Amino acid sequence: MSTATPRTPGSPRPPRAVDASMDLLNAILREPVDPDYARLAAAAPVDGGARPGRSPGRWAAGVVLVLAGALFAVAALQTNRSAPVAATERTELVARIQDAEAQQDRLRLQVEDLDAQIEQLRSGALGDDSTSRALEAQIDRLGPAVGQTPVSGPGVVVVVDDAPTSADDARDQVLDLDLQVLANGLWASGAEAVAINGHRLSALTAIRGAGDAITVDYRSLTRPYRVEAVGDPRTLQARLAESAAGAWWNDLSQNRGMAYSTSDAEKLVLDSDPGITLRYARAVGR
Amino acid sequence: MIPLIGLVVGIVLGLLLEPTLPTVLQPYLPIAIVAALDALFGAFRAYLEGTFTDRVFVVSFISNVLIAALIVWVGDQIGVGSQLSTGVVVVLGIRIFTNVAAIRRVLFHA
Repeated sequence: MSTATPRTPGSPRPPRAVDASMDLLNAILREPVDPDYARLAAAAPVDGGARPGRSPGRWAAGVVLVLAGALFAVAALQTNRSAPVAATERTELVARIQDAEAQQDRLRLQVEDLDAQIEQLRSGALGDDSTSRALEAQIDRLGPAVGQTPVSGPGVVVVVDDAPTSADDARDQVLDLDLQVLANGLWASGAEAVAINGHRLSALTAIRGAGDAITVDYRSLTRPYRVEAVGDPRTLQARLAESAAGAWWNDLSQNRGMAYSTSDAEKLVLDSDPGITLRYARAVGR
Repeated sequence: MIPLIGLVVGIVLGLLLEPTLPTVLQPYLPIAIVAALDALFGAFRAYLEGTFTDRVFVVSFISNVLIAALIVWVGDQIGVGSQLSTGVVVVLGIRIFTNVAAIRRVLFHA
């Protein structure tokens, strides 16, 4: 393949070519055509009359060309055919994700059932003396605040959404930070219980971004985001508007075009946060 | 003219008959096609330079396709299949580009 000049005996060693280490690439660039074409053409008579038009070689070349065409067609067909297969696999995966989510929901319901049972057993185990009653009262007071018990009552509903232009500019999308600010603003404005799209928030709830979606307790939300807060309806909305969160969201809705609307609600029902577990317990001396 | 007709007949046959390749061979089809393209452009350039020979074309086409597929197959067996196919595509790609450039110079004098 290489075209190095033959070394004549006795002559000094020829200087090493600068690009000797690139010999392979050079050979590829120098001989892109099969060198046999040139060799056979040089050997054949120049007039070309010796090559009959219907020689077996011509037929073989024709067959090879038909083969090449068929090769292209088959490859194109196969690439097109594997596309629906990929789509089917995708729908299967989506179905599996939906199954898993449904199972998660069932398990969460089970958790809520068991929580209710625990509560019953607890009140049964606690006696009827004054210490027990004080403990019950404390539990009743703290339960709604930590998100362990369902809460219902009047409050405000804040609905926020991406701006219509969010497809063009990612800065026009609601971020996890925006929802965090809003939730914290509602707490600071006196909300007793907050839920985003039906997911109750507790002190341990994580509002985070995961890819394109915002997750609350690792469950992804779908737009629009409906933030419900139970609290004093006379002051909650006004205090929210005056808080830093209100200013933040006014800025977002005015400068970025995001949807932001607050309204009073007569009666909101917020489920308990199924993620609450007992982490620390100590016996109370009677 | 005849080579073009051959190619078109092959494509039509492939589309009409829809032959299914054994699944074992399917991964080597793309690399075989790159090798086939190299042989085709090489042959076309030789034809333009007046050195085309049927026998060399047939032999170079078949050996190109088989060797390219074989290299990738061997690579698959020893665990470097994707790297080797990248290498084959690079080498054959360089040759194809060089040949097409030469063809362009002959055809359009540019």
